[in-house]
Amino acid sequence: MIKVVITGASGYIGSRLTSLAIERGLDVVMASRQQQAHPRASWLYFDLASREVIDLPADTDVVVHLAANTTASNSLDDDGEVAAAQRLIRAAQQAGAKFIFLSSQTARVDAPTAYGRIKWRIEQEALAVEGWVVRPGQVYGGELRGLYGTLVRAVQKLPLLPAFMPAPFVQPIHVDDLAEGLLRIAERGALNSGVYCLGSSVPISFSSFLAEIAKSRLRCRRSYFPVPVVVINLFVALLGEPWRTRLGLDRLRSLFDLPVMTTAADLDQLGLSLRPLMAGLHPSGDDRRRRLLREGKALAAYVLKGQPSNGMLRRYVRAVECSRDGRELRLPGIFLSYPIVLSLLDKGSWLEATMGEEFFWRMDAATMLAEATPTGAGRFLGSGQRHGSVTSMLSIANALAGEVFWRLVRVFVSPMLRHCLTRAKGGG
Amino acid sequence: MTADFEVIVVGSGPAGVSTAIPLVEGGLRVLMVDGGKGPGVPPPKVDFLSARAGDAEQWKWMVGKDFHALNMRDAVSPKLRAPSQAYVFDGFARDNQIYEEGFRAIGSLARGGLSNAWGCGVAQLSSDELAELPFAASEMRASYARVSQRIGISGRNDDDMADYFGNDKFLQSPIPMDELHTRLLHQYEKRRVKLRAHGFKLGRSRLAALSADVSDRQACNLSGNCLFGCSRGTLYSAMHDLPSLRKHANFTELSGFLVDGLNRDNDGWRVTVKTGGHGERRSFSADKVILAAGTLATTRLVLNALNQRQSLPMLSNPTAAFMLWLPSMLGAKRLPGFGLGQLSFATDLRDGISAFGSTFSTTGILISEFTRHIPMSRRYGVDLSKGLLSSCVVGNLFLPGQLTNARVRIDGGGSLIVSGAYGDSVAPLMDEARKKLRKAYWSIGALLLPSSYTVGIPGGDIHYAGTLPMRDKPALGETSPFGEVKGMDGVYVVDGACLPTLPAKSHTLTIMANADRIGRAIATNLRKNCF
Repeated sequence: MIKVVITGASGYIGSRLTSLAIERGLDVVMASRQQQAHPRASWLYFDLASREVIDLPADTDVVVHLAANTTASNSLDDDGEVAAAQRLIRAAQQAGAKFIFLSSQTARVDAPTAYGRIKWRIEQEALAVEGWVVRPGQVYGGELRGLYGTLVRAVQKLPLLPAFMPAPFVQPIHVDDLAEGLLRIAERGALNSGVYCLGSSVPISFSSFLAEIAKSRLRCRRSYFPVPVVVINLFVALLGEPWRTRLGLDRLRSLFDLPVMTTAADLDQLGLSLRPLMAGLHPSGDDRRRRLLREGKALAAYVLKGQPSNGMLRRYVRAVECSRDGRELRLPGIFLSYPIVLSLLDKGSWLEATMGEEFFWRMDAATMLAEATPTGAGRFLGSGQRHGSVTSMLSIANALAGEVFWRLVRVFVSPMLRHCLTRAKGGG
Repeated sequence: MTADFEVIVVGSGPAGVSTAIPLVEGGLRVLMVDGGKGPGVPPPKVDFLSARAGDAEQWKWMVGKDFHALNMRDAVSPKLRAPSQAYVFDGFARDNQIYEEGFRAIGSLARGGLSNAWGCGVAQLSSDELAELPFAASEMRASYARVSQRIGISGRNDDDMADYFGNDKFLQSPIPMDELHTRLLHQYEKRRVKLRAHGFKLGRSRLAALSADVSDRQACNLSGNCLFGCSRGTLYSAMHDLPSLRKHANFTELSGFLVDGLNRDNDGWRVTVKTGGHGERRSFSADKVILAAGTLATTRLVLNALNQRQSLPMLSNPTAAFMLWLPSMLGAKRLPGFGLGQLSFATDLRDGISAFGSTFSTTGILISEFTRHIPMSRRYGVDLSKGLLSSCVVGNLFLPGQLTNARVRIDGGGSLIVSGAYGDSVAPLMDEARKKLRKAYWSIGALLLPSSYTVGIPGGDIHYAGTLPMRDKPALGETSPFGEVKGMDGVYVVDGACLPTLPAKSHTLTIMANADRIGRAIATNLRKNCF
């Protein structure tokens, strides 16, 4: 069993890394100032500010150094933080353990902030002993902690958000994907020492990142007002160091100065594929349920000829989770956007083979759940609606006309339809 | 006398209670063992249509919190999908070690057994049919009368089906029909002479469903909740007979147990029982054991006790379902109404065979039950159903049980394997029945929708019988005229397993009457020995 010592194990990234490592069967030692009571991990005292020699367990295989001084007002100075890292590296060497350091995208010898410069100095120490350095992009997802928590709360509170000009770019990475990357480095035997840049390979503007938080995490809309970066820089320069640190404006400055990282090769080397931002921003960490909801909404709207209730959709999701595999069917987008087009897929001999039994199970599930609502009673039984032979005849004529129309369309589009469905299925 | 009980009755369904009542009333010490499953999903509080229009939680009784209806999507009948009836069928095959081979094997571990989910159809065997039983017809007639009075039957009428259903003397008046059925019967009456000449007759269904209150069971109020659970006790369930049995000090009930084995010992018979799955085991001794666990479970117990490995033939009714459209009723308003059979028919087919069936309102059945089978996409299937179904009725049809080639056997592990298929004569008979019904109903203003006529899956009738038939001179594995198993003196079979014939007509009343007859005989016999 791999024994891994994690500093900063109670932090935003550390807690996710700890959970994931335990899940994977690793022997985790949480190294932090305050004693951690975790049922499946042990604890070791570790303080960045302490000058004492660090005593790692002799059988330590890996040290992951996440701890960093993020609070502005304490006694720890820049050199102190570097010195703490040096002590940790020495202890790791004595135990014969791998050393992995979580750095930052801002790490640079001439970084505009002390934070970036310290990270750079520790990187050098780590690389000197053939350790591994991970530079993450914009970390997000999971609990509202760290910089991510600050950003979500800001978007939640502010009706107007700044759109910096020129736009800074970020390379988001979900906290769980980052933890996975760190674990892969920890577990992998033959992996070259060096700097690994982990983050989305396609940078997005900071404003789009905020907009996605608003949309996917908070489900709200926000407006933006342009803020020239020059103005901020000027303001920051005028404020002077103490105020800058106190207001956390340094972080903002490092944002304007983020170098674009080339991440594709490093992600590839670790075999890591990052989840899409939209999926990762969902509180559950993925958008599986959202996709199922969307599928249920399309199937139910197709049968109901109207919008299904939220309760009905939740039941659809639960039914697919309880009785099936809980995954969406990967219907091509057109069927989700225009449910009526599902008429092309519903019934027909070759469709049974192409769509499979599962599609028809879900169609029946959506039909039955849609029927079992007061709206469904109106739609299926005509409850509370006009009745009479003319109404009935119109309903029957409508049914026949619709059926004939879509059957004709199906004849014309079937080659394309087959292609489109096969591709959608193959995409899985 | 050292046995724990004088009689142990296995099963609390219609056969079990019918045999237990005379025994308990005769003062015998009786133990009744049953699977003990009870309802879990409360039925709708108001009538079906009001509940549909207003109850936001209707999915709980229509689909089920555990999505029972979806999980049972491929089951043979809507009643197997109704969440409120899930308990009736739950765990029967698994806990009894019964396996299907191309044949449906369904039964019940519920208190009251399958009568918690039956169609309530009741009929007496005709004189000709009774003649096939190895005892005097008069014995059955007396028992028919007793059981009919006890359970409450509605449908009294001197219509064309009166002879078919048997003596109507004790019956309550019929439950009111809906508009569609009223019209069908009215049209039939105009053409009855001609239709009867063609071997088709139609009349009110005779049902163990009340049109007048009987003790604390209430008359039908046309709520239309028959399928999803009637809260009034209108539909007879053997469960309703349990309270009166419990009043007797000599009656003991052991609920939540299955019988695992039967062994002869010094005190008579020792019955080993266990809880479902692999739980607690107990054993009791008795002078006599009466098996009423349902044909499949009873047969397994007997074959295992006899250690008989040969396969036995079983009777099971071939079934079909169909839909009739009444064009003149197009656009009829949906009204709450009775959900079980309203009119029943009998039609003569070739070789002296006759088919029997009933027709039902489509209100109270989910529309999605229909749209799945309509050869149209669901979206337009719903439109069609909405326009058409309020002027339609659905029907079922049964053929005599000997036309199915079903067999049961015990495998090496003591499990019962049920297999079989319809005999060769079924397909042509079903075809003939379809043509006859189409003609007959067309002449009374109803169109049998061409693609609606569907032959059911073998075993889907859940009418299993005749594995251990009563014979004058029983061979090994058969039973005496009193249901006593040849080779197991003191063990009696009183459920469907002992019926030597299974006509097309509803057989439950016959099982109950026979169980009453045997229970009465055993009671008299044991009393005589005492004195």
